[in-house]
Amino acid sequence: MTTSVSPPETVPAQERTAGHRMPFWVNQRLGLLVLVIALSMLFGVLRPAFLDQRLVLFPLLRDVATLTVVALAQMVALSVGHMNLAVGRMAAFGAMFAGIGYDRLHLPMQAGLLLCLAAGAAIGAVTGWLIARTGVSSFVVTLAMDFALLGLVSLMYSGLTEDAAFTTRPAGIDALRSYSLADICVGPLCGSPAVPQLAQFTVFAMLGLGFLYGCTRIGRELLLTGAIPAAAELSGIPTGRRVLLAHTLSGLLAALAGFMAAAGTGTFRASIGDDFMLPSFLGAVLGGTLLTGGVVSVLGTLLGTALVGVIRKGLDLLGVGLESLNIYLGCILLLALSADRIRTVVSYRKVVRST
Amino acid sequence: MRFPTRSVLPGVLAVTLLAAGSAACTYRNAPGPAAGQASAAQRSGGGADLVDGSKTKVALVPGGAHPYFQPWKTAGAVAKKTYGLGDVTFDETAEWDQQKQNNLLSTLAARGYNAFGIFGVSPTDINTTFADLKSQGFPVASLGSCPAGSTDEADFCLSTDVELAAYKAAKAAIDAMGGKGTLVHLTGNNVDANTQLRIKGVARAVKESDGEVKLLQTVTDIDTDLQTAQKAVSDLMAAKGGQITGIVATAYNPAVAADDAVKSSGSKAKVIAIDDDAKILSGIKQGTVTATVVQNPVGQAEIGTWALALLQTKQCTVRDPGVKVDSGSFVVTKANVDGYDKARQAKTAELKTEFADKYLSCG
Repeated sequence: MTTSVSPPETVPAQERTAGHRMPFWVNQRLGLLVLVIALSMLFGVLRPAFLDQRLVLFPLLRDVATLTVVALAQMVALSVGHMNLAVGRMAAFGAMFAGIGYDRLHLPMQAGLLLCLAAGAAIGAVTGWLIARTGVSSFVVTLAMDFALLGLVSLMYSGLTEDAAFTTRPAGIDALRSYSLADICVGPLCGSPAVPQLAQFTVFAMLGLGFLYGCTRIGRELLLTGAIPAAAELSGIPTGRRVLLAHTLSGLLAALAGFMAAAGTGTFRASIGDDFMLPSFLGAVLGGTLLTGGVVSVLGTLLGTALVGVIRKGLDLLGVGLESLNIYLGCILLLALSADRIRTVVSYRKVVRST
Repeated sequence: MRFPTRSVLPGVLAVTLLAAGSAACTYRNAPGPAAGQASAAQRSGGGADLVDGSKTKVALVPGGAHPYFQPWKTAGAVAKKTYGLGDVTFDETAEWDQQKQNNLLSTLAARGYNAFGIFGVSPTDINTTFADLKSQGFPVASLGSCPAGSTDEADFCLSTDVELAAYKAAKAAIDAMGGKGTLVHLTGNNVDANTQLRIKGVARAVKESDGEVKLLQTVTDIDTDLQTAQKAVSDLMAAKGGQITGIVATAYNPAVAADDAVKSSGSKAKVIAIDDDAKILSGIKQGTVTATVVQNPVGQAEIGTWALALLQTKQCTVRDPGVKVDSGSFVVTKANVDGYDKARQAKTAELKTEFADKYLSCG
């Protein structure tokens, strides 16, 4: 599910003219998938408990589901060549509205979710509008938005709650946190207890974005706006409105991730999204989305996030201490990415030799 | 700019899709899992003396790395040896993120740990985590911090009464100030339930002074690291140093920063710190820190591990599940700086007796 307006940089022009195709195993998504599976198997062999569906895989997938939506929020901003440094605070902002909805307005879960999404989309739209109208870099605008929301969210929680969190839980949210596919049975056949039902939001978000970027004109216009803004403008694409759309979607997805994080841990609190920014870039970029815009990969974003999640979980299971955890995590990621690069170079040489 | 119809439409579509998808949100037609916990404790005799803890593996999990929790590591190792437990581990990799802590706990359960002493990252969320672990049959203790609100889903909470500790600190400051003057409160994350309790504790002490003491400012969110705290305190001293006659720090980094600031500025403000870091103790000996409120992390880990082992082996049950027990806080001044640890050890011994007599029911 990779979409780009220009051929990926890894495919040289001469190769295209010669009519030779890179072998299928050079595909970055496939590489990531193989890495995720290989590492899972390695950790499974080293610690058989890694394959424990209830205690290890279920929380791992719940985490991956939430962080994938965070990374998708960043991916949408990256698609127009922008970034969203306020992704975590937008999550907190959206979640705060859901919390207010449940605590003060006694809304049912679905209505609170809609309020959360609307708030996220609105703050994203304001950010996009500011960027499009003023022409100020998205880095500066989203950084300013991050600070503004940090203050606003803290202030509202302090003013509205005693414990700095909305603790009212609507009916159904506990089920959302703890139910898996094992709770759905067709006759004697039940689903896997490893797959959380919370992941439905991730699937919806991925399908929606996959459709947007893969099958619609607006999606292609978003990518062209990211790849070559001047050319996009000259081609008659309303780049301002595409920027507005990208940031609105980014805000909406960030708010969805905020809701998922709150549902996953229990309450709607100000600290939701504090640690979202780095994973948002990591998942998207590992998955093949370009920081410069124009190329996105929805499936790659899921795989990139899953790779980081699997490595961290495996290291946790191996009992790696705090001092070494991040060193190992960094080293394995570097190795993984180097392996990917080596694979591309080797395959390119093979293609060159064969011509 | 015209109304961006084409930009808005996909957004509306996405929201509708998500809302439609979440209309039911969760489905369950499979029977619920059987309750993991044994219905009744099988008493094996021996009272509150642990008979056989060789199969008990206790995990002590703080919210993240912090000097406060370092005594847990050694106290856990000592408890393992003393009570002959299968294992006691100390894992501080939660990185102050509730989701990461939840993940870590389930990983530890998969690694075979069967009793958990936890300092929850988020006091408002931790009950959910406790309930999850309890539903899988593991005994759980909330150590170092109790969940926010009146409910505690853990078997017991053994923690400093943070509001009381902050009250004691503010009282000590007011006494040192001669019962009048201007006080400043330095503390941690504002959007944390425990910080709100500390603010309440200090406010109560100030209120009791009948207007003689004025709370000039409560500075929050400066416990992230020492540098942040130092900057905030030096700014405060530069702006209002002349007016301040007392400083109460109810978080570790601001306490060290306040000590440094008073030393370097030559201010006469009385500093009341928290915990017994070497820097703070030397400040007390030198006179730059008037007093510190010391907590009892060793007692939390030692008694917590022992009680968890008794619960895990089903030798005992908790009489009143979710009971909150104060692990003690002590005001340390120049007068008792050399001997306060004895008082703390006595409190730990007292806690063990209290648990055996009052909180646990053993066969």
